[in-house]
Amino acid sequence: MLFNRPFLAPFAFALRNMRQRMGRTLLTGLGIALGVAVVLSIEITNVSTLDTINTVFNLAAGEANLLVSTDNLLAGMGETLPEELVDRMAAFEEVELATPTLRVNTLLASEASEWELEIGFTGAAAGTILQLYGVDVVRDPELRVYKFTAGRLPSPDAYEAVLPADYAAEKDLALGDDLVLLVPGSGVARLEVVGLLASEGVALFNNGVVAVAPLSVVQELFNHRGEIDEVGLKIVPAIASDPDALDALKDRLEERVGRNARVIYPAARGQLVSRMLASFQAGLQLFSGIAIFVGTFLIYNTFSMTVVERTREIGMMRAIGMNRWHVLGLVMVEASILAVAGSAVGLVFGVVQARALMLVTGAFLAAGDAVITVTPQALLQSLFVGIVITLGAALFPAYQATRISPLEALRARAQTGEKVRPAVWVTGLVMLALGLANIYVIPYRASVYFNILQGSVLLILAGATLTVPLVVKALEGAARPWVRRLYGGEGALGSANVQRSVGRTTLTVAAMIVALAMIVGIGSISISFEDDFTSWINASLGGDLYVTSPVKLRQSFLGQLATVEGVEAATPARFHIVQVAARSLPPETADDDDTVYFVAIEPETYRQVSSVEFTSNQGDPEANWQALAGGDAVFLSSQLAETYNLNQGDTIWLKTRRGEKPFRVAGVIVDFFAQGQTITGTYRDLGAYFSEDGADRITVKVAEGYTIDEVSQRIKDRYGEQRNLNVQTTTSFKAQIQGLLDQSLALFDVLSLIGVVIGSLGVVNTLTMNVIERRREIGGLRSLGMTRNQIVRMVLAEAFSLGLMGALYGLGFGFVLAQVMIQSMNSMSGYDLEFVFSPTPFLVGLALAAGISQLAALAPARRGAALNIVEAIKHE
Amino acid sequence: MTEPSTDVLLRAERVTKTYQMGSVEVDALRAVDFEVRRGEFVAIMGPSGSGKSTLLHLLGGLDQPSEGEITLAGQPLSQLTDDEITTVRRRKVGFIFQFYNLLPTLSAQENIALPLVIDGENVGLHTARLNTLIDLVGLTDRGDHRPDQLSGGQQQRVAIARAFINQPEIVLADEPTGNLDSRTGTAILELLQRTCREMQATILMVTHDARAASYADRVVFLKDGQVVHHLGENGKGNSVEAIMDVMAGLEL
Repeated sequence: MLFNRPFLAPFAFALRNMRQRMGRTLLTGLGIALGVAVVLSIEITNVSTLDTINTVFNLAAGEANLLVSTDNLLAGMGETLPEELVDRMAAFEEVELATPTLRVNTLLASEASEWELEIGFTGAAAGTILQLYGVDVVRDPELRVYKFTAGRLPSPDAYEAVLPADYAAEKDLALGDDLVLLVPGSGVARLEVVGLLASEGVALFNNGVVAVAPLSVVQELFNHRGEIDEVGLKIVPAIASDPDALDALKDRLEERVGRNARVIYPAARGQLVSRMLASFQAGLQLFSGIAIFVGTFLIYNTFSMTVVERTREIGMMRAIGMNRWHVLGLVMVEASILAVAGSAVGLVFGVVQARALMLVTGAFLAAGDAVITVTPQALLQSLFVGIVITLGAALFPAYQATRISPLEALRARAQTGEKVRPAVWVTGLVMLALGLANIYVIPYRASVYFNILQGSVLLILAGATLTVPLVVKALEGAARPWVRRLYGGEGALGSANVQRSVGRTTLTVAAMIVALAMIVGIGSISISFEDDFTSWINASLGGDLYVTSPVKLRQSFLGQLATVEGVEAATPARFHIVQVAARSLPPETADDDDTVYFVAIEPETYRQVSSVEFTSNQGDPEANWQALAGGDAVFLSSQLAETYNLNQGDTIWLKTRRGEKPFRVAGVIVDFFAQGQTITGTYRDLGAYFSEDGADRITVKVAEGYTIDEVSQRIKDRYGEQRNLNVQTTTSFKAQIQGLLDQSLALFDVLSLIGVVIGSLGVVNTLTMNVIERRREIGGLRSLGMTRNQIVRMVLAEAFSLGLMGALYGLGFGFVLAQVMIQSMNSMSGYDLEFVFSPTPFLVGLALAAGISQLAALAPARRGAALNIVEAIKHE
Repeated sequence: MTEPSTDVLLRAERVTKTYQMGSVEVDALRAVDFEVRRGEFVAIMGPSGSGKSTLLHLLGGLDQPSEGEITLAGQPLSQLTDDEITTVRRRKVGFIFQFYNLLPTLSAQENIALPLVIDGENVGLHTARLNTLIDLVGLTDRGDHRPDQLSGGQQQRVAIARAFINQPEIVLADEPTGNLDSRTGTAILELLQRTCREMQATILMVTHDARAASYADRVVFLKDGQVVHHLGENGKGNSVEAIMDVMAGLEL
């Protein structure tokens, strides 16, 4: 019995009401769940992405507190250190343990012929190349985890190896078998498999495609005698636990490692990759903000509807003595139940959605299986957002419910129209102006600009919404002739209804605006991005063939390649990691090391095969090329130019083996490789300042009269086996990159879809409310002889008008949103992405507006048509 | 005054309406036999709960009887589909409600023309009839006003004009003066009577107001869902006093 426990009565009322309106309850719950899911999934994705990066890099470092590494932060790029560094480091009394690693890339001999380079946005994808670690088999287990499922560690200096049990099973290898590897020269090497590792620690390196052998064996096989590429240092706990002391030690060690080497914290490795992902994450954050905004609308709309629907009920309860606080409590209790339940479901959705998002992020990371990190903090934060937003959004309708006068409620009728206070649209105009001024007029510092832009988008969105009442009349007037043409006389009636409840119309139009703005904005960004990306691919990925190898190609090979029949020209490229000197960094980041790719090219041969795309205002390309070829000069990617605030003619300082050296910026170019974290320079400078040579990739142009396949085959026949070459056509390489791009853009489509769902729910809610409120009127129309079909058409026409208004506003706003988002992406990432107008997203948006409005209106329309006339006209 | 013709326009035969109220069945109407002849102005009276409004709803095709048959202009309604009944209502029946039921977004003139719009007619072709009706109900200067700019009496005039715009065979009025003060009510009744005469229309009015009923040619009394009395069968005897006497008897 409801009244046995009076304090439970509001809950019982709320639950009964929710059960009675099950459809709506579920819709609202779904809306809350969706909003929470978006917020949570984006939070999880961002945390997980960073965790994945850190896991990958920390795993490699093991328990090392410090690493001695080459200048090349991503190691394994061919540069090495002298082995005697290990003893030099071990001599420090604070160093508890110093253990060397030499990492080489190789392939199983059995796979050499079918190997193909897979790329990710940050370079070669993990797991496609076998990494062989040469370690001190006695000391290394103190630093890294080796957990055996069978066997043991290799004996020092023995031709033995251990590998992950899963990888061994996949390659059909058992204890005692030989691991047959490709080694430089023309041979293969055999290492006996003496141990199999469980999936943790070392076995997780390189996505499990890894083998560990004694250091001396790896040095010998790969011509690296006396060389290592890293020393892991375990520091005594007293110092390791004190950041300042550790920092001081780091500096002291640094003085003793020599010029080629650096002492770094293990975490520093993830930095470059983290930066590459920053713009992607920023985009997600923006969507999260918009999702919250739209979700708030939806919830507000739903509770307004509940209140409208229950006006008589509330009036009656007020008549029999319920006070305003009781009424407020009734609505808020219902909101609370929905908030908690919807948010809880949203958490589940969110985790699922995060998995989908991480698939895309995984492609960016090229790190194989990404780690999904669900922190209690993220869960609580999303739950909090869900509950607070729901309660906040329900508060105003609840307040409105308290204002219902019992007498009025009991004889409530459909209103002729409501006046919207000028304060509303004036506020809207002010917000709009403020938002636009923030973006276009006020010159903010770069570091805060992105956050300002994000806030401004929401400000514009809210401002645009509040100005809807101003234009409802005019827009409806404009839409009505179209609606009449489509739906006849009852259509015009329906259309006119839009003007009756301006507040509600505003909300619906706003929901449509958001949905359409998301579709148009995201669509335009996709198209602009694709456009830029495609023109970059076409300009920069010239040539006909790419020749790559798991081991660095010698420069002399280039000459040999040029002699192959059908090769017109060949040009090498080397991706070397360098550091930008602090003096070139923006003041707020001057403390951090900044790591970027130095892409070495040979200007002369490069231009025979490919080209670069200069950004606007870069003067004569010919002069730029000459400046580059002259040496001590670089081309800067537009992203870095933006980050460092440098332009043509400026100087960028790089840390070289000869100290910090200035390089003149000969031009700013469009470059998407490694998310634009690139500086393009010459081989001459690479040799002179970084003592580097060799090629990671050779691009070949096929001479006229020869087919690409023919020349590819000839290269493979002549050098393929000997040098483990992979020869790929430019076309397939481009297709691969395009595939990655499409995968990333698919995520945007998913987010647009959320907009569509939310927009639709808005229309359903509003029209249902309108139908409920106008029951008597609809009954009257039916008694005057309007058929059920005519009622359906009338409601559909009303929805169509709403859709059309939403479209007009939403497409316009979408246009602005796209530009703002592109601008904010540019400011975050330093891309020089240009807005490309394409009618496609606008047409899609228009079609969706019509579609959404009509589909969403079907249920309310049928509800209206199904009204019992006698009941409806009694609805007094 | 035009004499009512002898042909029957509306006939109810053994009409019963039963409502299910939870587990209880309530008979709102019990085997009612009833006729309205063309050109007649008939009033239905009875105490609250006697079934007046139910009968009116059934006669207008807004609801279906549980048993029995209603024939309007020779068409048995039970044999028609929902859409066909709707068309009958649109073309042959005009409704006037106690609360006017005007569309708040439309002007008086547009409200009057609404049935034409619903019927897919070009309103422009019916301007003459529209203007005649507006003049007839005395709203010549108020055509452009919206309902909230009109008084109750004026709104009911709009409703009356709307009821007649399609030249229906019969106008069904449910307490047309129930929401009006007595002076306005009188004016409305006179208007109804006059319109009925001028448009040669048939009117069936439900009321519990004896004075309103006295405007009718004939008064039918209902009690407990059954026809229990008639007045003015021969065009006489339906004075306010006579009606009140009968009502007093019924309400005992």
